[in-house]
Amino acid sequence: MRFKVISCQVLTWEMNHVLSRSPHSIVTEILPMGLHDLGAAMRPRLQERIDAADEEGYDAILLGYALCGRGTEGLRAGKTQLVLPRAHDCIGLLMGSRLRYQDYFDTHPGVYFRSPGWIDFQIQGQTLEPANSAANYTIGERQTREELIARYGEDNGNYLFEQFNAFRRRYSGLTYISTGVASEDNFRSLARAEAEKEGWIFEEIEGSLTLLERLVNGKWDAADFLVVPPGATVQGALGESIVEAI
Amino acid sequence: MAQSKELYEAILNGDAKKAHAVTQAAIEAGTEPMTLISESMVPAMDEVGRLFEEEEYFVPELLLAGRAMKSAMELLRPLMVASGQKLSARVVIGTVKGDLHDIGKNIVASMLEGSGFEVIDLGADVSAEAFVAAVEERKPQFVCMSALLTVTMPAMKTTIEALTNAGLRTRVKVLVGGAPVTSRYAKEIGADGYSENASGAVGLVRNLLAEA
Repeated sequence: MRFKVISCQVLTWEMNHVLSRSPHSIVTEILPMGLHDLGAAMRPRLQERIDAADEEGYDAILLGYALCGRGTEGLRAGKTQLVLPRAHDCIGLLMGSRLRYQDYFDTHPGVYFRSPGWIDFQIQGQTLEPANSAANYTIGERQTREELIARYGEDNGNYLFEQFNAFRRRYSGLTYISTGVASEDNFRSLARAEAEKEGWIFEEIEGSLTLLERLVNGKWDAADFLVVPPGATVQGALGESIVEAI
Repeated sequence: MAQSKELYEAILNGDAKKAHAVTQAAIEAGTEPMTLISESMVPAMDEVGRLFEEEEYFVPELLLAGRAMKSAMELLRPLMVASGQKLSARVVIGTVKGDLHDIGKNIVASMLEGSGFEVIDLGADVSAEAFVAAVEERKPQFVCMSALLTVTMPAMKTTIEALTNAGLRTRVKVLVGGAPVTSRYAKEIGADGYSENASGAVGLVRNLLAEA
């Protein structure tokens, strides 16, 4: 079959791995990571690419995304079926199971997650430009102390920096999700170094490519995948199915 | 009144030091705390909320206005406690269990405090049990919950269930918010209200108080 994959950059390593093993004809598009930071502006970015793919007569458009803070809610393709793995976010995807993620999350409070993509593509201090430049969801979390002081003066600048970064002190652990991709040793070392720098306890867990694998192989069992018929729309669901089509 | 305008401006401009100094001077000049709150602080916070809605103020401006408000409040609060002055409503607020994000919640807490309500901030990663205990001990009229992750949103439902099981649900109005929270979700879990932002939260509390 012919598929279009539209995927978040953070999954690049894992996606490349599963794509190379898929028997299907697949064209892939990678969108920059961090779109979830744009809040409501994430959806139009993805929708634009879905609309373009919708014209190409694919058998399905596969999304390398999850609910992503509702960033994928509202997506639709008029003529093509859309497939979305059931997960809250990429961490759930990388763990291979939303149930495993919920369980780990509930039993490991205060954990920061890292994966090959999170280490490789996250650029320090990078901020995405939202579609609407006056948008009030760009809250300045990534600004440096110097930038905030330059803008708000020393007293207020320092205060804002402390406010935006206070949450980091509430984290107590960093969990690196190993997905068995190339260059893993390097990413693991960098993750460990970050944990040390922040004073967080480092833990490594083995991720799983099962969801991404089944996504690109066309094995979309209803339990783990949302298949959105042409013309229907992705919506967040209340329970553990996470997403539904309406 | 000169001091009213100065405190109003200091809060609007996020000038904590000025807000503190002006409040100190006002107290020494014999101004009633409630007068300062109702005539300077509340209007200033209302204006801050309006500027945010108009997209002229953003999160940093809200945080700084909140900071200025708090620096004034820390002088006023002890006087009000000493004179037995009660505020119109008591609000317990927190980010739900498992969720460590609190900037939005802090802003809502600031806006509510600056609008003349008594706010008890439980912080982040607040369990259902902790919310229940706070309701039992502090007897608020409102419980406000925040979540920034869809993973932690279910804790809102758990907390409402815990309040019900403890026989406390009908004593409070439960309000929810946070980036992935929606008014539909609020209805589904049986919350009493939802707000998209901090100034909306203030309006919600005022409306619900007026209905009560």
